[in-house]
Amino acid sequence: MSALLEINNLQAGIGEKTILKGLSLTIQPGEVHAIMGPNGSGKSTLSYVLSGKQGYDITGGSMHFDGQDLSAMQAEERAIAGLFLAFQYPLEIPGVTNMTFLKTALNAVRRGRGEGDLDAASFLRLAREKSRALGMDDDMLRRQLNVGFSGGEKKRNEILQMAILEPKLAILDETDSGLDIDALKTVAEGVNAQRSPERGMLVITHYQRLLDFIKPDFVHVMANGQVVKSGGPELALELEKSGYADFRQGEPVHA
Amino acid sequence: MLNALAHFEQLKPNLSGDIGAREHALQQAERLGLPTRRSEPWHYTDLARLLKKSQSGQAKAENSWLLTHDFSASKPLYVSFADALLTRDTGAISSDFAAIEPANEADVMGLYNQALAQSGLTLDLTENLEGPVIVETSGGQSQHLKHRIKLAAGVQLTLIDDHAATGYSNISWDIELDENASLTFLQMQQAGQQVAMCEARLAADASFTKITLLSGGDIARHATHISLQRAGAQAQLHSAVLGSGDSHSDVTYVIDHQSCDTQSHTSSHQALGDRARGVFQGKVIVQRDAQRVDAQMQARAMMLSEGAEMDAKPELEIYADDVICAHGTAIGEIDADALFFLRSRGLDEVTARQLLIGGFIEQVLGHCEDPAIADVLRHHIEHKISALMGGKTEPSNDL
Repeated sequence: MSALLEINNLQAGIGEKTILKGLSLTIQPGEVHAIMGPNGSGKSTLSYVLSGKQGYDITGGSMHFDGQDLSAMQAEERAIAGLFLAFQYPLEIPGVTNMTFLKTALNAVRRGRGEGDLDAASFLRLAREKSRALGMDDDMLRRQLNVGFSGGEKKRNEILQMAILEPKLAILDETDSGLDIDALKTVAEGVNAQRSPERGMLVITHYQRLLDFIKPDFVHVMANGQVVKSGGPELALELEKSGYADFRQGEPVHA
Repeated sequence: MLNALAHFEQLKPNLSGDIGAREHALQQAERLGLPTRRSEPWHYTDLARLLKKSQSGQAKAENSWLLTHDFSASKPLYVSFADALLTRDTGAISSDFAAIEPANEADVMGLYNQALAQSGLTLDLTENLEGPVIVETSGGQSQHLKHRIKLAAGVQLTLIDDHAATGYSNISWDIELDENASLTFLQMQQAGQQVAMCEARLAADASFTKITLLSGGDIARHATHISLQRAGAQAQLHSAVLGSGDSHSDVTYVIDHQSCDTQSHTSSHQALGDRARGVFQGKVIVQRDAQRVDAQMQARAMMLSEGAEMDAKPELEIYADDVICAHGTAIGEIDADALFFLRSRGLDEVTARQLLIGGFIEQVLGHCEDPAIADVLRHHIEHKISALMGGKTEPSNDL
């Protein structure tokens, strides 16, 4: 069986600037991996390169998702294949209701997966059930997508999209940023409810705090565009004590 | 409408009203000539040049199919004009032109309208109608229409201008709202070459909401001049433009705050593809002593192709000191981050762009408070956007 995500010596950047400098990472179904690292280490770039944002050049190495070469796939093809990115800064889309957006997205993904559209009534039931499970008001479905949402509401809305699209791999990019402790707990509960033996998760965070709520199986430290150290959950606690100072030089540390 | 004299001679036997006054207006109009870019209000819409180009067939209107709209859920009253002739009415109108006041001697398009207007809706309401009034305009010939709407104190009306004429039209709307009267005016153009002028005068506490939706036709010039004459009068003017092919769409607003405690909110959202050109001109005037005026004006354009062009000219002319006035203009492309966000949720690029353009236009349609009518507008826009994005399928006309 092939790995869910297999990144091998990946090098990528924008224009002349190389940001990922030979990054390797393998995620099996059911595993939750956390990537921690200082600002500027390339964490967000990794999430964008994996999910297919335009503007990045892949200059070396490979990335495979469920056996498919990700670099040959458009962003929407990756979503259909089961890759999901929860954005650090979810975008506001004025004039488009959350409901319309969710329905368009689900049906696009279903069509791509060879399933038919969900009819309006079934969709409404699904959206209500999933949003209530995340403690969201029905009103949030009728509002314009992320417009006027608080930081916590936006992040919860990302998790709602994940719950509806049911990806095989969810990448959570600094989902904890801008959240107070209560909002963080709610969002983490939403994420934990979606852990399953089939689903992998890649939790990208700057702080260890999020990992108190979403317990990872593996922790990786990223610095200067590479994974410089990997270990179990205890590595996150270690970092909490010692900080990232040891890794800033970008020299791989062999654990 | 390049040969007005011949057109006049042809119509003359059937024209009503004072023929002498019409002839005078025509002569004056011919002396002035069609507006060109040398005339300030027409600087971005050189009508003489545009009409020449359009009528010689050089300008190609893409998506030239017409959508029909089903407003039946709103129980409307129809008034229909085809090639300037009344073809259907509901008994609520007349077309007596004898009483038309002479046009401003400097307003060439108004003079042409006075000279050549064959017909029009005359509505003088003293009580509410049970449904909206829909004015349908169709046909392929040159046509001049003059509509007059007067609402007595406290009367409310929804008026829909459904313009699908494929030829040249010069259309004048004269609107008078008495105290506390309220008019919602939805104006749609999807074909032809239209020069429309809407003049509205509002008494105390009168309210005028005008939503303009331009989605086709190679020339659309929609000017709206509002006089807020007494305290409490308020105007909401919102326009959405979906430009394609070689279309030229001009939204021009002049809002004259003549009294204290008056309000105006203006917005324009233009999405321009192909080689389409959009124009927004907005002028807010606050007269001396018109204190506590609140005037907001926003113009935005979404450029969908390299060949599209947008000209925006917002102006504030303020003579009072205790006012809140603001204007803003933003012209840009579709936001690449928003596009990526939608694509990362499985939407292909075309669908994602459609959703973003739809959202941009929806911000204007959202001002339509009648849900049944708003739905008709939304269906219209969906079809037009999908055509703009290259899905050039004929509509099923099942709107």
